[in-house]
Amino acid sequence: MKKTVLAIAAGAAVAATAPAAADYPNRPIQMIIPFGVGGATDISGRALSAALGKIVPQPIVVTNRTGAGGATGSVVVRDADGDGYTLLYARVGTHTTNPALNPNLPYTVDEFRFIGVYEINPVACVVNSNSDIHTIEDLIEEVKANPGFVSFSSAGVGSMPHFAGLMVLSVFGIDDVDEDVIHIPTEGDGAALTAVLQGTSDFYCGSTSPAAPFVASGQMRPLLVTTPEAVPGFDAPTSADLNMPELEVMVGWTGIAGPASLPDDIAGMWGEWLAEAVQDAEFLRIMEAGGSQVRLMDPEESVRFVNTAADAFATMARELGITLVD
Amino acid sequence: MSFFDAFVQGFALVAQWESLAFLALGIAIGVVAGAIPGMSATMAVALTLPFTFAMQPITGILLLLGVYKGGIFGGSIPAILIKTPGTPASSATALDGYPMAEQGKAGKALSMALYASCIADFVSNLALILVAGWLAAFALNFGPPEFFTLIVFSLTIIAGVSGDSLLKGAVAALFGLLLATVGMDFIGGTNRFTFGSPDMMAGLNFIAVLIGLFALPEIFSHIRNPKEREGNVRKLGDSHLTREEFRGSLKSILRGSAIGVFMGSIPGIGAAPSAFLSYSEARRASPNRENFGKGEIEGVAAAEAGNNGVAGATLIPLLSLGIPGDVITAIIIGAFMIHGLTPGPLLFTNHADLVYALFIGLIASSVLLLFIGWFAVRGFRYVADIPSNLLFPSVLVLCIFGVFAINNSIFDVGVMLVMGLLGYAMLLLKFPAAPFLIAFILGPLLEDKFRQSMLMSRGELDIFVRGPITIIFWCLTVISVVLIVRSTMAAARIRRQQRRTSMPPRTGTNG
Repeated sequence: MKKTVLAIAAGAAVAATAPAAADYPNRPIQMIIPFGVGGATDISGRALSAALGKIVPQPIVVTNRTGAGGATGSVVVRDADGDGYTLLYARVGTHTTNPALNPNLPYTVDEFRFIGVYEINPVACVVNSNSDIHTIEDLIEEVKANPGFVSFSSAGVGSMPHFAGLMVLSVFGIDDVDEDVIHIPTEGDGAALTAVLQGTSDFYCGSTSPAAPFVASGQMRPLLVTTPEAVPGFDAPTSADLNMPELEVMVGWTGIAGPASLPDDIAGMWGEWLAEAVQDAEFLRIMEAGGSQVRLMDPEESVRFVNTAADAFATMARELGITLVD
Repeated sequence: MSFFDAFVQGFALVAQWESLAFLALGIAIGVVAGAIPGMSATMAVALTLPFTFAMQPITGILLLLGVYKGGIFGGSIPAILIKTPGTPASSATALDGYPMAEQGKAGKALSMALYASCIADFVSNLALILVAGWLAAFALNFGPPEFFTLIVFSLTIIAGVSGDSLLKGAVAALFGLLLATVGMDFIGGTNRFTFGSPDMMAGLNFIAVLIGLFALPEIFSHIRNPKEREGNVRKLGDSHLTREEFRGSLKSILRGSAIGVFMGSIPGIGAAPSAFLSYSEARRASPNRENFGKGEIEGVAAAEAGNNGVAGATLIPLLSLGIPGDVITAIIIGAFMIHGLTPGPLLFTNHADLVYALFIGLIASSVLLLFIGWFAVRGFRYVADIPSNLLFPSVLVLCIFGVFAINNSIFDVGVMLVMGLLGYAMLLLKFPAAPFLIAFILGPLLEDKFRQSMLMSRGELDIFVRGPITIIFWCLTVISVVLIVRSTMAAARIRRQQRRTSMPPRTGTNG
């Protein structure tokens, strides 16, 4: 009797853990966006999901699970079964900067398996056009002359602009960034840029796409972009012009991840689907309109990319002494 | 391109059947979505967004704006009929709308909500077209300290919706403030009252709290005491408004529209505080002050004018500065960008025809809202005719579905049920729910803006009197508090006198 129970239990365990890739997918796939509707991640994720919907044999259901800077949605996917039916649109904020800055996060990067990073967002630093600051050197001088008086706004604690603002200053030789500049968190990139426009904060470093309209209209002035190539519309020195290759790790990205237990064969299938989906004309049009660069990495490269970035940022946060404490 | 050319070209863009048809379709979608509990105007706009990608820019944007405006009005329908605000902005409408429905005047309440919405919407659109530049400059001067003083002033609304006991209102408000602190702290990133739960880190969902607090206590009291309403089908009532009723509310509608325009043009406030502020101002100015909260038609008018007055004005910072005023306009910015249009000062130079087309479309939307809303009112008011033993279980199911759908989260459903129990306890103990809700909405804004200001000023408190705007709000707050104290004391005096007259006369009394 006992043996039969054990055998059944073992059988059930095998059935539950055996990769069911042979018939994967046989039901709709839920893809979770950990940020609100209408934001950059949402637009990007929905555009890709629409393209994937034409390729993946089962319907794709996109769901927003917002809150706590993307932590709530991320945890839902971490806790899901690794059967490939619950996936996450992860982003630089949720899986690079926030884990590096915030030790109170309820998840870690290695609890996820990445199956495809597909979007890169260049980062730029901007100031109000009325400001006396015309170049990044002006900004650095200003911070050095008045430590503790220059402020920057971000999309919230642990968000990419939070990290970017501190990191750029430290690359340019501000030693104690935690003390010398003031971080003003706001509700999102839109609000962070509004703060620059209103004079609430002095500068913002973040994705070029939300800043592009303000630069185009002359309301804001770009100081630099962190990519070696120039960004259209941003008439500012690149990392190559500045001879600062250290800046280049500071880019935004979006990718798809499952829980760490996601098996190889399912990851492989996604690699193929994504390779086809990113060719979709409508998807490319939306990405281009938003100022993002489409760059698909295969599953192995994605894992490497995210882990390298997470490690580099965590080290940087420790060295700069900007990790949050509770 | 001269103004006239741009205007003519804009007119040509709108005067196509597609533009008007999609605008009307958007309003219809919005009204229906707003009327479903848990389905907010924000969600409806977000779900419509992908369909606009393949459209002409002007039709796509008009469709979204239609959904937005329809959704804000649609929220008032369930607020009045079943005390379940479809959108946060319509919770103020439930305060007097639901008592009216109870009294068999659902039709009148809905009609008033519609007229107030359309008039406020029209005023708001006019403000966008005529004084956008001026209001945009004003919005740019509205930093965290100004915002903070505005919220402090808005907290005085609590006195206006506290009902009979100011003390109970204040206690309810403190509870709201306390619950609003749950979640990850916005400035420092620390977890507050989360007990290690990632769901709690996101804070308590606003709509779950709203529905739990307003709709569920009604259902619970019906379960406990079904006899009370057995066989007593509420009448729809006449939906025709008399000239006197309309005229009596017109002042409140116009005041509400103005408040809506003002609050809408400031990025980050949204429609709910505006509706409450308009409601409390109407109550303060009304001769029927005592009747507010008990089915006063002017209360419905003021609340709806306050929330629809925001709709056009939120486009002021969007179009003139490129700043999204609220979540919905943030989505609409997305729609602009997808079509390669960048909202902001350049839009007026590079795409003047589109801007004028939008303006004309917006004016048309006020009129279309009147027509579509008229049909909706006639369709939806039959809900009031459903016997309560069918209606209440259906409402409960709808609430659970709606709250689940916000985030696909069963946790939110749990929040709603717990808030329902709390709301029921408050109902039994005669604690008003509205102060709780206002504090819950304004609490996080108050804290964030205070702390942002402190960061800006490096801890100097004098930032809160840094300019004329902050000083005006401090003065308004003081005036408001003085008025509250005076009216509370006057009310206490009247009660004392009533008690005295009902008792045998005594000698030697003094005041």
